[in-house]
Amino acid sequence: MKPFPQFNPHPVFKDYVRYETRRQFFKHGASFMGAAALGMLAPKMLQAAEKVARASATGKTPGPHFAPKAKKVIYLHMVGGPPQMDMFDYKPVMKDYYDKDLPESVRNGQRLTTMTSGQTRFPIAPSMYKFTQHGKSGMWITELLPWTAKAVDDICFIRSMHTEAINHEPAICYMQTGNQITGRPCLGSWASYGLGAINRDLPTFVVLMAKSTNLEGNQAISGRLWSSGYLSGEHAGVLFRSGGDPILYINNPDGVDTKARRQMLDVVKAMNQMNFHEVGDPETHTRIEQFELAFRMQSSVPELTDTSKEPESTYQLYGEEAKKPGTFAQTALLARRMVERGVRFVQIYHNNWDTHGNVAGRLPLQCKDIDRACYGLIQDLKQRGLLDDTLVIWGGEFGRTIYSQGGLTKDNYGRDHHPRCFTMWMAGGGSKPGTVYGETDDFSYNIIKDPVHIHDFHATVLNLLGMDHERFTFRHQGLDQRLTGVEPARVVRELIV
Amino acid sequence: MILFVNTGKYIPSGLKVLACPRPASFLRLSTVALLAATLSTSTASTASKIEYNRDIRPILSENCFACHGADSASRKANLRLDHFEQAIAPRKDSQAAIVAGKPKESLLVRRILATDDDIMPPAKTHKTLTAEQKDLLTRWVAEGAKYQPHWSFVAPVKPAVPQVKNKLWVHNPLDNFVLARLEKEGLKPSPEADRRTLARRVTLDLIGLPPKPEEVEAFVKDSSPNAYEKLVDRLLARPEYGEHRGHYWLDAARYGDTHGIHIDNYREMWSYRESVIKAFNRNQHFDQFTIEQLAGDLLPDATLEQQVASGFNRCNITTSEGGSIDEEYFVLYARDRTDTTARVWLGLTAGCAVCHDHKFDPFTQKDFYSLSAYFNNITQAAMDLNAKDTPPAVVVPADTDRGEWDALQQKLKADEKRIALRRDAGKSDFTNWMGTATPKLFTDRLPQDKPYFHALLNEGEPATNEPQTITYLLKGETNKLTLKTNAAWQAGHVASKAFQVNSKTNPVAIAEVGDFARDEAFSYGAWVYRTKDTYGAFFSRMDDTQNNRGWDLWLVINQPAMNLVNKWPDDCLKVISKKEVPLNRWTHVFVTYDGSCKASGVKIYVDGKSQITTVEADRLKSSIHTTVPFRLGQRSPDGAPVDGFGIQDVRIYDRVLAPEEVQSLAENLRAAYLLGKSAERRKAGENDEVYECWLKNFDEEYQDAMDVNVKHEKIATEIQARGTEALVMAERTNSAVAYVLFRGDYDKRRDKVTPATPAALPPMPADYPSNRLGFAKWLVRPENPLTARVTVNRFWEEVFGAGIVKTAGDFGVMGELPSNQALLDWLAVDFRESGWDMKRFFRQVVMSATYRQSVATTPDLMARDPDNRLLARGPRFRMDAEMIRDYDLAASGLLVQKIGGPSVRPYQPDGVWEAVAMDVSNTRYYKRDEGENLYRRSLYTFWKRAAPPASMDIFNAPSRETCTVRRERTNTPLQALVTMNDTQFIEAARNLAQLALKQGGTKDRDRLDFMAKRLLARSLRPSERKTTQTALKAFLAQYQAEPKAAKALISVGASKADETLDQPTFAAYTMIANALMNLDEVLNK
Repeated sequence: MKPFPQFNPHPVFKDYVRYETRRQFFKHGASFMGAAALGMLAPKMLQAAEKVARASATGKTPGPHFAPKAKKVIYLHMVGGPPQMDMFDYKPVMKDYYDKDLPESVRNGQRLTTMTSGQTRFPIAPSMYKFTQHGKSGMWITELLPWTAKAVDDICFIRSMHTEAINHEPAICYMQTGNQITGRPCLGSWASYGLGAINRDLPTFVVLMAKSTNLEGNQAISGRLWSSGYLSGEHAGVLFRSGGDPILYINNPDGVDTKARRQMLDVVKAMNQMNFHEVGDPETHTRIEQFELAFRMQSSVPELTDTSKEPESTYQLYGEEAKKPGTFAQTALLARRMVERGVRFVQIYHNNWDTHGNVAGRLPLQCKDIDRACYGLIQDLKQRGLLDDTLVIWGGEFGRTIYSQGGLTKDNYGRDHHPRCFTMWMAGGGSKPGTVYGETDDFSYNIIKDPVHIHDFHATVLNLLGMDHERFTFRHQGLDQRLTGVEPARVVRELIV
Repeated sequence: MILFVNTGKYIPSGLKVLACPRPASFLRLSTVALLAATLSTSTASTASKIEYNRDIRPILSENCFACHGADSASRKANLRLDHFEQAIAPRKDSQAAIVAGKPKESLLVRRILATDDDIMPPAKTHKTLTAEQKDLLTRWVAEGAKYQPHWSFVAPVKPAVPQVKNKLWVHNPLDNFVLARLEKEGLKPSPEADRRTLARRVTLDLIGLPPKPEEVEAFVKDSSPNAYEKLVDRLLARPEYGEHRGHYWLDAARYGDTHGIHIDNYREMWSYRESVIKAFNRNQHFDQFTIEQLAGDLLPDATLEQQVASGFNRCNITTSEGGSIDEEYFVLYARDRTDTTARVWLGLTAGCAVCHDHKFDPFTQKDFYSLSAYFNNITQAAMDLNAKDTPPAVVVPADTDRGEWDALQQKLKADEKRIALRRDAGKSDFTNWMGTATPKLFTDRLPQDKPYFHALLNEGEPATNEPQTITYLLKGETNKLTLKTNAAWQAGHVASKAFQVNSKTNPVAIAEVGDFARDEAFSYGAWVYRTKDTYGAFFSRMDDTQNNRGWDLWLVINQPAMNLVNKWPDDCLKVISKKEVPLNRWTHVFVTYDGSCKASGVKIYVDGKSQITTVEADRLKSSIHTTVPFRLGQRSPDGAPVDGFGIQDVRIYDRVLAPEEVQSLAENLRAAYLLGKSAERRKAGENDEVYECWLKNFDEEYQDAMDVNVKHEKIATEIQARGTEALVMAERTNSAVAYVLFRGDYDKRRDKVTPATPAALPPMPADYPSNRLGFAKWLVRPENPLTARVTVNRFWEEVFGAGIVKTAGDFGVMGELPSNQALLDWLAVDFRESGWDMKRFFRQVVMSATYRQSVATTPDLMARDPDNRLLARGPRFRMDAEMIRDYDLAASGLLVQKIGGPSVRPYQPDGVWEAVAMDVSNTRYYKRDEGENLYRRSLYTFWKRAAPPASMDIFNAPSRETCTVRRERTNTPLQALVTMNDTQFIEAARNLAQLALKQGGTKDRDRLDFMAKRLLARSLRPSERKTTQTALKAFLAQYQAEPKAAKALISVGASKADETLDQPTFAAYTMIANALMNLDEVLNK
């Protein structure tokens, strides 16, 4: 056998080797092999350790490139596209345009979805909701969001987001993965790949689905959104469920308690060791490690999702809704518990924002679902000192049209998809509080100041996470792929503390 | 050689992790890298001789080609470095980039060695060359800058079988290639695996299931010299062979059971899966397989099988999202087909050339769109209408109906002929009849009871200044309705004028009409004339501000539909006719509903004929009463009016009309109207219409012929209902074209292109048709450098876990170089020369000594070749998701072995589909099957693309949205949770325990061995026996103390536990079975 050169392994590897050495070799080792053999196996252990490190994402990560401001992210995605002019993008002039046609000079050849491209008229529907100014920033907020309004000085609003996608499927995909075509990793996967795990007993990237009170305007959400795309599978989001097992298969079957599970795992481990000594495949050790991690998750996950011990003060922040499984308020609370315990990225989807018709019937319910919980989440994070390094993101996949889809009355209207401008907001994690960025024209139709493209937004978020979006790449199909694509993207410094 | 350490990316196998090695571990890594570098080519030469493909191209493509390569759009300084002629071409302002043999005069060398801002690659690219790389490039220029064509674009020539020292080891020629390489490396192959291991391995590789203990024993005891060969041949003949091979192919074909995009409804496509299994089982040769997969529909007199096979390119994901723009999706579909086909047959990442010329491979954007033109001429519509059988589709009768179906086609043809004959001959009888005929003869044939509601809508324009009125009959009373504004009128169909709905007229609204209860039977319909594709109500009594409460006659773009709704989408019923309402022609549309609150109680008729329907919702539970009025052309009160359609003879009956009655409404009224006109006022063709109606109603001979025909049609419909459909390809009649799209945007068309194969590959013979068929034939021509290599490489990957080219879908410049090119080329040419015989190929592989090696490894070998690219040991890797589940089902005796059929829904935790599905999706709720469907092989599991089968998803099964030629193989804690806790794995464990208790003897030792033999194909070793026996005792003690827990555990799953067994013992064995099923040895092949 060749002498092995000296090496200075990464601490993770060292720990692993020490752990393995002590546990496997001195405990059982003597029965299988002598001391010489132990030396012989060291390089193999190292390799196994490398693989474990890779698999558990605690090993080498490409980032951070520089000191991150945000270490954790809670991303609240409003599926369907919230109407920006009814919520954040105040357009008082529009009241004079009621039922007048959208001027062609404003639309300016914009492509429309085939849902309204056949309409003979594009009558303007001014927002029927009252707006008032709030906080030091003087941000105008709809009456539908009284709680969010209280937090405006913690929030960084971007009223000038824009995209090219005009239908949900490609638009959500674009917002989440930087590309309209499926198959690319989403922001959460990139964060997992770039920064790795904080707590190895919990998934790095978690997905939560919030139920909406309003049932109209539901849109498709596909598992592809949080699949890892071309990144390794360990960077896929893990869906936590509000009913049944919080993570698929996390609970033992009926009749199996922790003791029985441990006993079973001891058999598996012992026999895997024997097999390892016969065959010598380091993957066997990875498997032993993964079974142990699964066992630890079986206790850490129920603890995480058990909100029964939350004090009453928590519900004073999030509202009583947070006691109901599956509500947006509860997912927001869970998200806080997750970042508190070291989940890197929490993605929440709240559906049914697709208000093609009946805005009056749907929007108040949609806003009510999220309003207090958004406020509660920000305050809760702040009180716990978590807001400094936790970035909260709120937004949909596109905006909606100022003109009405279908019938327009004084007290009801519908709005079609609109890619040219929409509003998103961030809080914490190094985003600049009390900011109102970007401006649209009187029709909330075109951006007139400081446009922020999806790629710019992603570049900015990555920057907050300590990543240079141009250097943050993954080699796939021979190209250095990146979240922000090939066109130039801008880190919007004005949004950063 | 050190250069490979820092470029990293080019090192085969799992060495990517070393891309940025820590300095301290550098030495160790470089040993591995050294080996890896020599792995890159089978003709490894001494380090001093520089080879372009091995040493230089990786540096250039990594660092230079992005700006100085094939992509003209991103090319900088008008310089190409990927072609010798271009690289040495004189430049206007400076030296040539390369002056062969003269590094000092070469711009390239000067710039890479520069220390100032001139340095190449420039700083902003974040790429730097190492000193060794610079040295290599310099030496290469000094040695004459010799380029080589990329290996995979040169057609393989069958290499001579190399000589080896250890001739005894060799079983067949592929061993020579492997061993020659090992001997060069100074490595020895591993000894042959023991017979039990071998039986397990080869059974898994050929049929995807573990061997039965008796099969293992038979093989172990067979002392004949060809015992192994006999085993292999038995396995190759098994029907499970096709299932196992099929599951790999279904990944490539991106087969799934839903549309994939947006609503993600069911797509009935399983006949394609079945055809794949059958093709492998009858050992269809790969050349013919290729032709049928890509162009089965275009073969002369294409058989049903050939048409079904063409479904390969109907497996792509499709949409019907409201608001989508057709052209955008036509482009996406063609793109997916092009990319998939290129990846599967050519190993090219063609998708890279969607927006620009391929940056690395000689594949231009024009090549891409020319290739896509082959797939751009399908009759398929852009929107799939969320139907399960989006046309083009064909009927696939059940196997048992095939004979009758084929015979029936002849009978139907004969019927047609007889009907046509009578249509010709009956004219004189008709002329006689017309002499005395009156309209009443026809109207007498209509239903004689008065409708609940009837409005003929033939009022026409009122006399000047009079308000517009409309007359209608309601519950026996004649009423007049005065409209607020005048209606528009158009020429009628069963009366002279017809009402025209458009967005400007005030639609008719009558409060008292049609407030039915959901359990009342009623029928309704009208003559309609539509002028555009749209969504909208012909008429309705529905409140669209109250979750669409009510009912309607609805139009889905071009298909008539009906809704009965309490609350959309949770409490409602929606049925859509597959037959369309054609544009610009009067069509009779009618619905009958029997009051059952079920979709099965609904029939939709178009022109008097009952239509096949799609049920989009069938969950009406509550009242459909609503306070809004009945309206023409609109839902109330906000629904957009349907613009510009004519409507006449609106009828509502408060009973179910019989099919003949609906038919009479669709025929006789029109005939009566025409007959009522004087002969001279009848237009051309109108006499013919009366004649048709006469034939059907008054001519016995014609009626006879029709009766026979109806009988035949009925049988056909029954066969159709018993069978299934297949989505197939069908070519439009015009010749195919495509457009180069600027940046890939569907609306930025540039040059028009016609179908063509990529310019860098050998041309298609001139006598081949310029369509998919010609293209498919071209793929399997001997001079094609890629198809055979790419195919055998994928097969190799199935068996060895990694291809000889690890990037199975990328044989291009950025793909990995083959670890043993001579082996790959020999296999490829041999495969082609064998007539593309797939079974022969797999036989050859599993018969080889290479394959039969033991997997046991040494630390030394592990360090030198961690990923087993040299094959000095046997293949060992974690099985695919399907195999893991099938394995435990088979070992426990639960597996139901039945080939083919519709997809099944085995155990899945609640809420997996619901979490992602849209309300209206018909795959929103996962309803678990019962009985044998719980235990079918995993390739039959229903594959919803938005939420792939949950447990398989965790084991890296793809979503099947796009083509996959190489699955990932991760090892995660979530996987451990599946095999530890998933109901189906626990149920398998307890069934295995039950078998052991009942058939495994009475001693623990024998029973444990019984389980081991079914899972490991061997008995337990002493140390294992000790471990399991000790654990068994502990489990037994625990479950004796907790009898309830024991009972709970043995009750997991739908199968019944044997009640005669002692429950604590049963539970304890179940836990041991659960442990054994989770062993690394079990999870690995």
